[in-house]
Amino acid sequence: MSKTSVPNWRRWRPAFDSLIFLAVLAGLGWLVVEGADTLHYNWQWYRVPQYLYRFEDGVFYPGPLLRGLGVTLELTGWSLLLTVAFGLSAALLQRSTSWAGHAVARVYVEIVRNTPMLVQLYLVYFVLAPILDMDRFAAAVLALAIFEGAFAAEIFRAGIEAIPRGQWEAGRALGLSPYAVYRYVILPQAVRLMLPPLTGLAVSLIKHSALVSVIAVADLTTEGRNLIADTFMTFELWFTVAALYLALTVSLSLLVSWLEHRLPVHGAGRG
Amino acid sequence: MSPPKLRFGWLDALVLAVVFGLLGYVVYRAQSHFHYDWDWRLIPGYFIRYDAEQGDWVLNLLGQGFLATVRLALWGGVLAALIGGAMGVCRVTHVLFFRLLGWTYVGLIRNIPPLVFIFIFYFFISGQLLPLLDIENRIAEATPETLRVLAWLFGPVELLPNFLSGLICLALFEGAYVTEIVRAGIEAVPKGQWEAARALGLHAGQVMGEVVLPQAVQKMVPALAGQFIALIKDSSLISLISIQELTFTGTELAVSSGRVFEVWLTVAALYFLLCFGLARLFGWLERRLGRYRRR
Repeated sequence: MSKTSVPNWRRWRPAFDSLIFLAVLAGLGWLVVEGADTLHYNWQWYRVPQYLYRFEDGVFYPGPLLRGLGVTLELTGWSLLLTVAFGLSAALLQRSTSWAGHAVARVYVEIVRNTPMLVQLYLVYFVLAPILDMDRFAAAVLALAIFEGAFAAEIFRAGIEAIPRGQWEAGRALGLSPYAVYRYVILPQAVRLMLPPLTGLAVSLIKHSALVSVIAVADLTTEGRNLIADTFMTFELWFTVAALYLALTVSLSLLVSWLEHRLPVHGAGRG
Repeated sequence: MSPPKLRFGWLDALVLAVVFGLLGYVVYRAQSHFHYDWDWRLIPGYFIRYDAEQGDWVLNLLGQGFLATVRLALWGGVLAALIGGAMGVCRVTHVLFFRLLGWTYVGLIRNIPPLVFIFIFYFFISGQLLPLLDIENRIAEATPETLRVLAWLFGPVELLPNFLSGLICLALFEGAYVTEIVRAGIEAVPKGQWEAARALGLHAGQVMGEVVLPQAVQKMVPALAGQFIALIKDSSLISLISIQELTFTGTELAVSSGRVFEVWLTVAALYFLLCFGLARLFGWLERRLGRYRRR
């Protein structure tokens, strides 16, 4: 190998690697198509758009998949609110001096973190919901919030504990009540720190919301499963559903990384 | 900050009142509106029962399901560690191709709901991979000894294809999370270690294998232990593609016996015992090993 060939080779390496990568992706795609062929699968991509939306007389009507996406968003929104409530209560109770508060928060977090989400959903839907006369949507929201709340508690606790002790002491020394210290000194600083993990939480909430299809809440996954049962377009519809989820979660992540640039850390670099 | 000293105050009274109020309300509704008559006596029989034909005790549905979950967890853990290890190294190499490969794998799996991934993948595995391996014919030709070993390792032989497809799904899914743990572990090794190893004349494979990975593994262990527990919990998901583990047998039993409340509470308790016990065990081991390391 001559001396000049090394830098040249280096320079073209990324392009070369990207090409191989594209080739591998194409190969995988080919495997899918080829595999479907051996099963005599009949691709009908042209039928997918009508399940997303349709136009009648220039008026837009959402199809089952988009309606399902709406339900998924609604479900996520409500459970996110409840998750924050559960998580913040558990975190504050764990930091309080209350003995019972500690015990309750601890038991809650341990039970939720050591049992599967699916089993919790079944417990809420088959045991709690009939007793309390809840409908499936409420049961789904409650189960999701109970589950994510235990993880949110950890995020809130870490966020609060990351605020330097001097901030507490200064707040107290200024004569603020413990509530006022939390409200005006600690939480405004902690929120900025908690933003990235909380997005992770929202993304995980969207992903876990797919589980509620097992109790037939009409979310995106349920609509997808129903359509597949009707049309047998297994691959087209699952790929579409997965792409919709992917678009949702990825855009959420991007939104927050943009927000993080917009919201500067107050007092950063000033000790 | 040192943990605050615990006292009994007005907050305790409030918390206890709320908790007991909610519990009392649920119990009251169950008794007076729902009229559920609890019967826990049947539950032990669902774990193990006396089979009059064989004249021996055999595992019943819950017992079989629990064992299947343990087997799934063990094999799934091994497979996920292999996939995650390989992909994790891919994520940090200098070769763009491998980085792209690892990035796509992790990005796809972590941004799609596990349920959707499992449903999509199940069609591929059951439709393509298993016919390729031709398991059913191999089992038909296997000797009784092989079958006994297989049954001990993977559970009932007639369910082996079913078990394997669930296992591969689970391992691919968890592998993405292991990949990120491995990547974080490798990146946590100080840059000086890489430079020193290169300066000593080691080639790339030696740098990774003999200098970086041994240090990275130490940093990964706590996170990997946590991921193993997550794997046990996520294994409940593959009950939805009819893999006969604990959640699946729980569903079957709740429907067939009609003891819905007791069965689901028992299943939840089993998962809790397994996961909580492991979490405690791992925590204890970590403290023990930490003491060794400091010495």
